[in-house]
Amino acid sequence: MTDAAVSLTSMDFHPQPQPGAARPWAFPAPDRGKLDNGLTVLTSHRPGQQVVAVELFLPAPLDAEPAGLDGVATIMARALSEGTDQHSAEEFAAELERCGATLDAHADHPGVRVSLEVPVSRLPKALGLLAEALIAPAFLETEIERLVRNRLDEIPHETANPGRRAAKQLSKELFPAESRMSRPRQGTEETVAAIDAAAVRAFFDAYVRPATATAVVVGDLTGVDLDKVLAETLGAWTGEPAEPLPMPPITADDTGRVVIVDRPGAVQTQLLIGRIGPDRHDRVWAAQVLGTYCLGGTLTSRLDRVLREEKGYTYGVRAFGQVLRSDAEGNGAAMLAISGSVDTPNTGPALEDLWKVLRTLAAEGLTDAERETAVQNLVGVAPLKYETAASVAGTLADQVEQHLPDDFQAQLYARLAETGTVEATAAVVSAFPVDRLVTVLVGDAAQIAEPVRALGIGEVTVVTG
Amino acid sequence: MPMGHTATAEAGSGGLTATEHRLANGLRVVLSEDHLTPVAAVCLWYDVGSRHEVKGRTGLAHLFEHLMFQGSKQVHGNGHFELVQGAGGSLNGTTSFERTNYFETMPTHQLELALWLEADRMGSLLAALDDESMENQRDVVKNERRQRYDNVPYGTAFEKLTALAYPEGHPYHHTPIGSMADLDAATLEDARNFFRTYYAPNNAVLSVVGDIDPAQTLAWVEKYFGSIPAHDGKPEPRSGDLPEVIGEQLREVVEEEVPARALMAAYRLPHDGTRECDAADLALTVLGGGESSRLHNRLVRRDRTAVAAGFGLLRLAGAPSLGWLDVKTSGGVEVPQIEAAVDEELARFAEEGPTPEEMERAQAQLEREWLDRLGTVAGRADELCRFAVLFGDPQLALTAVDRVLDITADEVKAVAAAKLRPDNRAVLVYEPLATEQSDHADGDDEEGADQ
Repeated sequence: MTDAAVSLTSMDFHPQPQPGAARPWAFPAPDRGKLDNGLTVLTSHRPGQQVVAVELFLPAPLDAEPAGLDGVATIMARALSEGTDQHSAEEFAAELERCGATLDAHADHPGVRVSLEVPVSRLPKALGLLAEALIAPAFLETEIERLVRNRLDEIPHETANPGRRAAKQLSKELFPAESRMSRPRQGTEETVAAIDAAAVRAFFDAYVRPATATAVVVGDLTGVDLDKVLAETLGAWTGEPAEPLPMPPITADDTGRVVIVDRPGAVQTQLLIGRIGPDRHDRVWAAQVLGTYCLGGTLTSRLDRVLREEKGYTYGVRAFGQVLRSDAEGNGAAMLAISGSVDTPNTGPALEDLWKVLRTLAAEGLTDAERETAVQNLVGVAPLKYETAASVAGTLADQVEQHLPDDFQAQLYARLAETGTVEATAAVVSAFPVDRLVTVLVGDAAQIAEPVRALGIGEVTVVTG
Repeated sequence: MPMGHTATAEAGSGGLTATEHRLANGLRVVLSEDHLTPVAAVCLWYDVGSRHEVKGRTGLAHLFEHLMFQGSKQVHGNGHFELVQGAGGSLNGTTSFERTNYFETMPTHQLELALWLEADRMGSLLAALDDESMENQRDVVKNERRQRYDNVPYGTAFEKLTALAYPEGHPYHHTPIGSMADLDAATLEDARNFFRTYYAPNNAVLSVVGDIDPAQTLAWVEKYFGSIPAHDGKPEPRSGDLPEVIGEQLREVVEEEVPARALMAAYRLPHDGTRECDAADLALTVLGGGESSRLHNRLVRRDRTAVAAGFGLLRLAGAPSLGWLDVKTSGGVEVPQIEAAVDEELARFAEEGPTPEEMERAQAQLEREWLDRLGTVAGRADELCRFAVLFGDPQLALTAVDRVLDITADEVKAVAAAKLRPDNRAVLVYEPLATEQSDHADGDDEEGADQ
């Protein structure tokens, strides 16, 4: 104890310091324009960000995939970087990496997102390659075959991952079988195996065109003649105009129930508890964000205060809202969920505590202090969160994808600051009603099924795989 | 008051500068100004990691890192998290083989709070540390271990490879997460002793980066940290030195419930901080660093025997670094077929070296990674601490990318020939357990591939 005693007696303690005056910060307002080919372009100059982020949104939604070909949007997205009329697949990858660039593409319910990051000095070259991929993708049969096989090889890895497996099961439970949302985004073994080059080409021809696409360019653009660079690259992409695709209605069955995906011998149970709720178009969004943060945004939120910091059942449990798809008319929906892993023997007690947290929240509401801390965090972290070009570009592209105005995020911060404790409580209680939650547990059914049945949080069924 | 050094941008530092200071108690301080965004990053590196742990107490450095968030004399319970997040900041701590770091990124006007919090726990953690925190965080860390390593396919591969690549008794033989048995065995007194031994201002480097007034920042640092007593008595870590090459091929076959066969290997590589380590980084990038790398082209594109194939570099200063090969096989492909192809590619590369185009690509990739790393105040703060703690000079962080760009193709060829050989690696082979059912389960609901 000697050293500690020395420290405690000789260190000078000072009272907690008070903050200085905040320097104003605002979420960047992008410049919006259109190229001659109809491509919408959003740009934002962020001084100091030497790695420029380009986000391209292509409204080729998953529900447009032909019947039996789930996954064709994913294969098409991946095939965009697998060769063009000027470069083979290997050459294309080499040229991109020569720019120090990364290019990722993935398909989700609203459409395909292509993300390019490149040091600003090589932006024109990298944008040229991106344009080439859109203007003249090769979609060679041999490359598509390879991507299909590769995708089939990935599926068992995803199934083995408890978090992925839980997400797949929850979608299957929540959405009606005829909804694309009930099925895996990247397809099943049966549907992926049916995809060929002709299907990829047809999907591309039907849904990928400049007139409906948007490019977001963010970074330190000092000395870059962006208009000229864009005109010479993405500006050369041509295509016919098209009407926007209507979005099918989103419905879900959130009857309270429990599905256990059996994993004999698992040392932990992966839990994913969810339903659907309002998206960003809904007036309640800000209050829902605030209330959800108080419930499970961080390790000092209500769930982790009990499940982690009091009981030690978990490394962390989070509550979140993630937009599935939106349209301009406000018919969209978000997945509202609680997820985490708890050790196998404590699965029953952890769920019991989790429900107790939800019931207490509904009965007593949030406190003003909780609401205050949450607002301070959610609003205060904005300049940190949006320090990089990629994070700004990602949010701007999300707004486009979700049919939101360009100043949505900026306005959200103002709305969060105005949202009171009562509104936040109402929003989170209505987002996570105790009797309308579908619980998926990936774990050892022999050990967890009985304790979970005893909780009375809904009918319990066990599935394999 | 500590004395400041001049801040002059070195060529190639991208205009970034840093100044160095030292308090009377030995705390080294590095400051770097950047007023583009109203944020400031605080980063504190303690020169202690899992390599300092003793037999029977693996995982103690990391468990201790958790205890650092459980309160100190003036900060109650989870106050550290609550105060930082309530001030609009973000924070965390991490533990590796060679160091433990703690960091807060704050809106500029809340910088002083972060300094106060770090100083309070550096000086007075033991005033709050009790059995309740110890028992609770022991359970949390055991669940962290289950979640990140024990309950995921191939989750313990890194632990197994490390144990193969560094011999029994070597300070890097075990990984920071530690074993369940040792986590169970750790006592409150172990944690107290750990604090008394390693958590001293003269065993730490503090960096503050971003929208700061250096004179004011230094005055705050002096005010809050200046009276924390220095103390010596930290034992030298056991030497991590090993022969240049392993000299034989070490091998372990794991039969586990995994979705596919896998070939993983750890190659013994030069220590971090040397030209040879930068050359090895480029070699691994050419061979396995992306979609135009030799192994990806060979195994994933041409042979179509692998679902993914790549190389990573674990840079280590106190022991040989590790080049980590990871190949997951496609369909029913057997590991020997993959291994033969890998050996062929590595031998050819050692023979011919990189082409000029490959050098250009690899250097461009590593340059972008560095720009990313230095593009945030938190990334910069962490790198300044890293070079200060491991190599004694934070300024090296600002010129690291130039050193990578200065490496020649001959140096890359030389390091490949010397190190990327079958007799200089530990190999881990995964064979799935035979299962009765053939499960045609379908895909995932989230983005991207696994890993």
